[in-house]
Amino acid sequence: MHIPDNYLSPSTCAVMGAAMVPVWTVAVKKVKTEMSRVKVPMLGIGAAFSFLLMMFNIPLPGGTTGHAIGGTLLAILLGPYAACISVTVALLIQALLFGDGGILAFGANCFNMAFVLPFLGYFIYKFIKDRVKTEKGEYAGIILGSYLGINAAALCTAIEFGIQPLLFKNAAGQPLYCPYPLSISIPAMTIPHLLVAGVVEVIFTVAVIAFIKKVSPGTIYQSSKQKIKAVYGLIVALICLTPLGLLAAGTAWGEWGGEEIKNVVSGGNTLGFIPEGMKNGFNFKSIMPDYTVSGLPETAAYVLSAVAGVAILLILFKIIGSLKKDKSGDIHE
Amino acid sequence: MTPEWMLKDENYIPESDKDTFINKSILSILGILSRIKVQSGYRKDSFHVSAIWKVAFTFVMIVLLSISRSFTFVIIVNVYLLLALSMMKANEILKILKVSFIVALFTFVILLPSVFLGYYYSVIMITPKVFATVLAVNIMSHTTQWNAITGALRTFLIPDIFILVLDITIKYIMLLGEFSLNLLYSLKLRSVGINNKKYSSLSGVAGTMFIKSKEMAEDMYAAMECRGFSGEYRIYKKLSFTFYDFFYVIVNGLIIFAFFYLRKA
Repeated sequence: MHIPDNYLSPSTCAVMGAAMVPVWTVAVKKVKTEMSRVKVPMLGIGAAFSFLLMMFNIPLPGGTTGHAIGGTLLAILLGPYAACISVTVALLIQALLFGDGGILAFGANCFNMAFVLPFLGYFIYKFIKDRVKTEKGEYAGIILGSYLGINAAALCTAIEFGIQPLLFKNAAGQPLYCPYPLSISIPAMTIPHLLVAGVVEVIFTVAVIAFIKKVSPGTIYQSSKQKIKAVYGLIVALICLTPLGLLAAGTAWGEWGGEEIKNVVSGGNTLGFIPEGMKNGFNFKSIMPDYTVSGLPETAAYVLSAVAGVAILLILFKIIGSLKKDKSGDIHE
Repeated sequence: MTPEWMLKDENYIPESDKDTFINKSILSILGILSRIKVQSGYRKDSFHVSAIWKVAFTFVMIVLLSISRSFTFVIIVNVYLLLALSMMKANEILKILKVSFIVALFTFVILLPSVFLGYYYSVIMITPKVFATVLAVNIMSHTTQWNAITGALRTFLIPDIFILVLDITIKYIMLLGEFSLNLLYSLKLRSVGINNKKYSSLSGVAGTMFIKSKEMAEDMYAAMECRGFSGEYRIYKKLSFTFYDFFYVIVNGLIIFAFFYLRKA
């Protein structure tokens, strides 16, 4: 999953690197507060551990071998923030000193393997573990977390590859970087991960955690009792993915405008008319019609609309939540 | 009297078992360790150029390669890098060329199907670009002591604490790596005949490594604290500018000039 240089455009690399800066900042802060006593050496040695973990070959059916990334494993063992830093340092050493993975693509590689993989894997694990409080529940969390974590990372890699031919072409229409569109890059990346690499990751993660739990249960990271905020992570990921909406040429099914509905095909026949109610009905002029804001490139406007939409929804839910709390407070009094 | 059973011929031949994955793990860890050992033997001034310039210009070169749409420029960089490579030792040249060719070939094979989509540009441009990038990074890492590279990063405003973590990581890849090698060797040696538990033992190796790494971190912290480590970490370094540095800067300056010249043309 290590993206080499020249597959991604420098601007993509810059965007991915910029996206990692706040992640790293938060991770360093979190680690400092959580592991005050042994913070510095543990980060370095954790990175060495994650580097070596990637060297382990695991037998696959058919006599071949593959290697796990161990992102979710590290997140469960060290906590997601320390795992993020450890994988980052391991990736930097691979790129800079061993020439494995690109230097410009470092940000993108970190985004996939040091951010998406450990955080998603860990939050799925924690989400399930907190709800199903048996040992089986915990292992279900480990299995799902490590499987979905690595596959989400593979999907992100595929998307980064796949948007290259859409965004960067020369005058002759030839793609400048990775030439494969999403329709090729997504299956090419995700199918092997869904079938093989994901399974390897799951087996390795479960086996190592089972071993450590048996031998030295106290060493595994215990997170503070924070309520799971996986939903927020998911929302952020979805915002990042909104430009994908641009790729879908048509309007979302069921979201036709007045003019569009005329051309809607049902049962082989186009509708051919605008329903009366829609024609004269309430026409809501949105502030950001069709998710574009004048003076901004389409992609940026799309992301901005998504952020605005999420912010408004969050505000609404928070207000509703606070109203509920007040009510329950009344009852207690 | 010698007991009778001692006089009998022993012809126990253990049934052979597959242990490719142990061998492969041993080989990849050995590869990493030998690479770390070799680099600590580099003379500080091989190429006589200070690490700061090497890191800076390698980075600039990679950026320019990535942006450039001129095939001529990509060829110029490749020629320059091959020239630099030709001044290194034969065994290093062999190692670097091997890695670069493998990565370039991999890229070529990956990109070849895109010709059917009508995209010949990718194959022609990206393959030599990847070759040059891998070459550049490997030349830098093979001619410089790694602590000089991490030290050079400081010049580019990377926080000291981060460089300390990097240095610790490199040292502990070595220590933990040797530790896990011993575990893998003993797993291999003790698996006489068919050992069905070998696969589960691999997780034991990784798990033991984790527990060991925790212990090492605690020991190291205790040692650092005993020696008065307060959480601050500073690197003091004089920046010297030699004739070789001057030459290196001029050559790289010419390449950057070529980039802009060819862009205009």
